[in-house]
Formats: sequence, C-alpha cells, structure tokens
Amino acid sequence: MSTLERLAALLSKEFAIDPARLGPAARLEDLDIDSLRMIEIAFAVEDAFGVKITDEPSQLMARLKTVGDFASYVDGLLAAAGTSKAPP
Amino acid sequence: MKRVAVTGIGVISPLGNDSATFFAALLAGRSAIARLEGRFHERLACPIGAAATFDGTRHFDAAKLRMLDRVSQFALAAAAQAIADAQGVLEGIDHSRAGVFVGTGMGGAQSVDDGYHALYAEASDRLKPFTVLLSMTNAPGAWIGLEHGFTGANLTYSTACSSSAVAIGEAARRIAHGEADVMIAGGAEAPLNFGTLKAWEALRTLASEDPLDASASCKPFAKDRSGLVLGEGAAMFVLEDRDRATARGARVHAEIAGYGLTTDAAHITRPSAHGQASAMRLALEDAHLAPQDIGYVNAHGTGTAANDGVETTAIKGVFGKRAYALPVSSTKSMHGHLLGAAGALELAAAILAMGRGVVPPTAHLKVRDPECDLDYVSEGARPVAALGAVMSSSFAFGGTNAVLIARGP
Repeated sequence: MSTLERLAALLSKEFAIDPARLGPAARLEDLDIDSLRMIEIAFAVEDAFGVKITDEPSQLMARLKTVGDFASYVDGLLAAAGTSKAPP
Repeated sequence: MKRVAVTGIGVISPLGNDSATFFAALLAGRSAIARLEGRFHERLACPIGAAATFDGTRHFDAAKLRMLDRVSQFALAAAAQAIADAQGVLEGIDHSRAGVFVGTGMGGAQSVDDGYHALYAEASDRLKPFTVLLSMTNAPGAWIGLEHGFTGANLTYSTACSSSAVAIGEAARRIAHGEADVMIAGGAEAPLNFGTLKAWEALRTLASEDPLDASASCKPFAKDRSGLVLGEGAAMFVLEDRDRATARGARVHAEIAGYGLTTDAAHITRPSAHGQASAMRLALEDAHLAPQDIGYVNAHGTGTAANDGVETTAIKGVFGKRAYALPVSSTKSMHGHLLGAAGALELAAAILAMGRGVVPPTAHLKVRDPECDLDYVSEGARPVAALGAVMSSSFAFGGTNAVLIARGP
C-alpha cells in the first residue's frame, strides 16, 4: 500500500472523512483540517508510520496544501528515517 | 437591583439524567451509591461511589469527544438541557450580555489521570494532543460559552465543595446588578478515576462500605456515619433577569433570592460552625428574609464526623428554637458528594422540592446521634405545605462557605 493510500485510510478511519474525498489533489482546508485538527493528525501519523514530526502545526499548514503534499511529506520523513516500512 | 429568575434546570446525575428522574429518585429514597467498576479499583480500600449512567457517544461525535473530558461532557449536556427547559431563552438574546459561570473542584481530573498513567505506567513519551485542553479547569465553562456564542463574562470558580454554589451566587449577582441578562450557572465534576479516588482515600474521609448494603454507605447525621462517598455529574441553571423572563412569558421555577459567602480562615479542612452560620445569616439578609421564612434546608451533610455535628450547631445558631421544626435533609445520602458540582445539584433538589411541595429525605439515617438532633426527614419524602423559600448550603475545604436561598416564583 502506498503512503498516500495509507494516509487516506488513516484520515478516513480516525477522522471520519469520506474516503471518496481523499484523492491526492484534495485540499486540506476543504476537509476542515485546521491547525488544531492538524495536531491530532500529526500525532496519529507519528503512531501509524513510526516517524517523528518536528514541524509545528502552523508550519505544516503553511507547507502542506493537499493530501498529496502530506503523503510526500510523510515519504520524506520515512526516507530520512531510513525505512519505508510500518512499525511492527 | 434586578430580580433573578431560574428559568431552566439541567441535571446529569447518578440518579438520572434529567431533573424529573433525579427528583423522583430522591423522593423514592433511592441511592445510586454502588461498587465501582474500573481497571485499578480492586486496589481501593473501599471501591464505592455514585456514578452517572452517561455515554458521551450519545451526545457528541467522535471528533468532539476527543476534546472533552468527562467533566465537560457532563457540563455541556446539563447546560443544553437547562437551555431547552428555559424554552425560547435564546430568542432575541444579546450575546454580549450573556455569560457562563461554572464551579468545579478538580476539572478534567480524568484526563490528568490518563496522562499520568501513560507517562509513568506505560512509559510513553507522548501525551494525547489535547491533554491541556481536556484537563484545563475552565474547559467546561468555555465549551458552554462556545456552544451558545455567549460573549459576556465566562468564569470558573474552584472553591472545592462550594464551587458551584459560589458560581451560582456570583452569576445571580451579575444579573441583579444589571451586568447581564442571562447566565448559565452551575457545576460539574467527574472525580471517579483511580488517582482522584486514591487521593480522597488518603485523606481518610471516605465512607467505609456498609456490610449489608453498599447503597447505604453514606449516612449523613447518623451515629454510625463513616464518611462521604464521591459522586459525579453536573447541574446547570439558566438564570435570567426576571423582567426579561416575564416579558417573554417564561415559566419561572424560582428566584435566586439570597447568597451568603464567608470564609472560616481557621483550618484548611475542619469546618467552623461560626463560619457556616455567618454564611446562612448573610444569605437571609441578602434575601430580606427571616429564619422562619425558610421551609426547607438542603444541608451540606457530607456524612463525615467533622461536618455533620458542626453543621447542626450552625443551623441551631441561625434558626434558634425553630431549628427543631425545620425540615433539613442531606441528599448526598443518595447521590453522593459531587464536590464542585454538589451545590448546584443540591440547589436543584431544593428548588424542585419547593415546586412540588415535598422535601426529599435523608436516607440511611437509622441510628440517631445525640449531637445531631434536628429533623432530618429520615422517615422518607415528606409533603410540606407552603414552601415559600428554601436554603441550600455548601461548605468547603479551604473554608469557603456558600449558602443560596431560592424563593418560590
């Protein structure tokens, strides 16, 4: 499963977002993801992908506009951590 | 000075999640005190309490629930009920003249407990993202204000067991002084988590379990009383400028007629009859009522050795010989001690008693204590003709004594 698919599955399951709305071009602000919600999502992504997100929510909001951006960002974190596998 | 009408009452309690169910249980003498279930509760010396049957998922969606400690869930649900009960109160409201005053002793104690468990027991390096928002003491009041767009004063009072009586008294003053038209006022508490229960256990003030009947473990004013039993829940009121309530044809449950507030400044836990009596006298003075005008007292009546005798002495000091003919009851015998929410829930009991003309009993008072020799309505609910005014007392660790008087509409 690609990072994009895993991220979409996480957002759908944990944050009750309709999977049909979670394509790569979907804009985070259209999904009602504000900076407070981003804190929760960052927490869930850390758990699910075994990565550490050090950027602040406002930085994430400025940098990541779409679900595709977010997936690429997570790919970058996974690469930096030297693994692309989910934690056991 | 404006008159202060109570136009809405909302209750989430161990005895039911609406005011009618709550009051019917009180009249029936039914106690909600029982063995508690919990993952660590076998480590409690006495695992009893009065839990509310409340499922947050029936009131809030999953995203909202992640931001709400149990105490805020109670507060929001009780406030929504009170607003619904005060039919039409929001129509034409000036939001800048509407506020929220909430009393809570421990705030989001469940979230604090969960956080410590994650850190220390599970050795986690991370806490839930909203731990601060869940546990901050002003969260219950803040959520109520947010929900209804009230932009006037939003204050949280934390004076232990008198917190919500203080919140209601202070809110009534805002209206009486013309500073607000509508206030949501009351209290919420959710202390039935392992850490909080252990802390109370350490203070050696909790009741031991009645060997025959756990539900009878809290015995206010009885010779065989052994302490208090913790309970959880919330009670909220819509307080409204009487003129506004009258103009919109609102049903008025009662008026908040008097509020007395004193501080013992004597001991951090030991109550003072002088301090308690002073608060009762101030409330009477504030209400322009004489002791004989009070038809029922919902006592603080914790069931502890320290409180009940002192409170009895204080009542005698204020009411004189009439004290012996005055119905006094402690409904904590049935719903437990809701700490910061106790004053609000017990004021609800007193107002409902006035409305129905029947006072709830002190349950489980079988063995008389010579030191506690007033009429505690121990035989069961009692019809009382012409209840014109009622008193509710709340006395706290820290020495804050708050007494409220409600008058019939």
